Amino acid sequence: MTPGGGAHDGSPRGTGDVTRPQTPAGAGSTGTPARHDAGGLWEHPLGAAKDVWAVFVQGRRRDTHVYAGDVHAPDAEMALVLAKENYTRRDPCVSLWVVRADQIHATAQDAAEMFVPATDKSYRFGGSYRQQRRVLQSSYQAAYREEDQ
Amino acid sequence: MPGVLTGIADPALRAAFREVLLRVADDELVIGHRHSEWTGFGPDIESDVAMSSIAQEELGHARVFYEQIADDEGLDVDRLAFGRTPAEYRHAALLEQENDGWEYTIVRLVLYEAFETARLHLLAASGQQPVAGLAQTLTREERYHMLFAETWLTRLARGAADGPGRVQRALEAAWPDALGLFEATPADALLVAQGVTASTPSAQRAAWEETVRPTLEGCGLRLPPSTARDGGRRGVHTPSFDRLLDQMTEVWRSDPEARW
Repeated sequence: MTPGGGAHDGSPRGTGDVTRPQTPAGAGSTGTPARHDAGGLWEHPLGAAKDVWAVFVQGRRRDTHVYAGDVHAPDAEMALVLAKENYTRRDPCVSLWVVRADQIHATAQDAAEMFVPATDKSYRFGGSYRQQRRVLQSSYQAAYREEDQ
Repeated sequence: MPGVLTGIADPALRAAFREVLLRVADDELVIGHRHSEWTGFGPDIESDVAMSSIAQEELGHARVFYEQIADDEGLDVDRLAFGRTPAEYRHAALLEQENDGWEYTIVRLVLYEAFETARLHLLAASGQQPVAGLAQTLTREERYHMLFAETWLTRLARGAADGPGRVQRALEAAWPDALGLFEATPADALLVAQGVTASTPSAQRAAWEETVRPTLEGCGLRLPPSTARDGGRRGVHTPSFDRLLDQMTEVWRSDPEARW
């Protein structure tokens, strides 16, 4: 599911599933090869096709840009033009970013265990901050819909 | 709220302004339908979605202008949009032509959006409320339509292989019909004389040419000879429009009284 909506909900192409194990061979064109560490393959270029652009949507001016999905385009301007209708139709947007997906590097599946705490880290999870953000966002969305009607 | 037409006391002036509103609505309805024919057939999924979105917006604009007439005259909007004979439609022939390839659609979009944006500015300056305010608001969406059209045009026309030739041929096909957008009727003279429309159709056409020329020539295209194909503004249409109208109104005609 792509947060930005649009017609291709559910099937972002190229960069959609960044956790999928990738074959580093031939991946990407950044000139930066995949790297191994002691635990195995650790990071690699995503290996997207040349014409795939990752789209980031900013809902409000103080929000971060959030990855929404991809478009195919020959250049950045066309990518922005197409991203506008494909990822901002259903939710508010004040700004778009596009970046060539073949510039994106990803951590590998082999490295996933690095993200799992080995001891109790609940003291720094920051759940209440996330809860506050959810409340803010839901009230904003409600207000937006009212205004829209 | 009393409509714009009710507010015009002089019957001749009211009829002239009604004709302009009908032109705008018919232009948008017909081009919106043509654009919608790309849904599922666009050159790529992203452009397919974008063009479908543009089609929806043009139909939305058509509705706004039909409502201006329908509300004042106690008509049903759908009946006004779908329930007329071909000769009662006032759109220019450019908008009814078949989608003869993506390049034709893109060239037509460039030519039409430049016209439409200028026309909305004229309406916004007409002093006729609420139309003036609505026109001002709608220009916001036309900006993206123009951006989409120009972005595609430059890439097609500057492309390798057969791109430039095909775009040039599309331009030559569309140009006489595009000049037909500016076909004048007695309504125009009256509206200009009364100060409702700030410039004559011929002055609008000259300004439009100066707008589209740099875009077209900037990507290596040559402007065709200036012979307009008129008729649309007087209800004279091509067989393409008969087919379009037949298809577009098929569902509505199956039960004109239905509430959707």
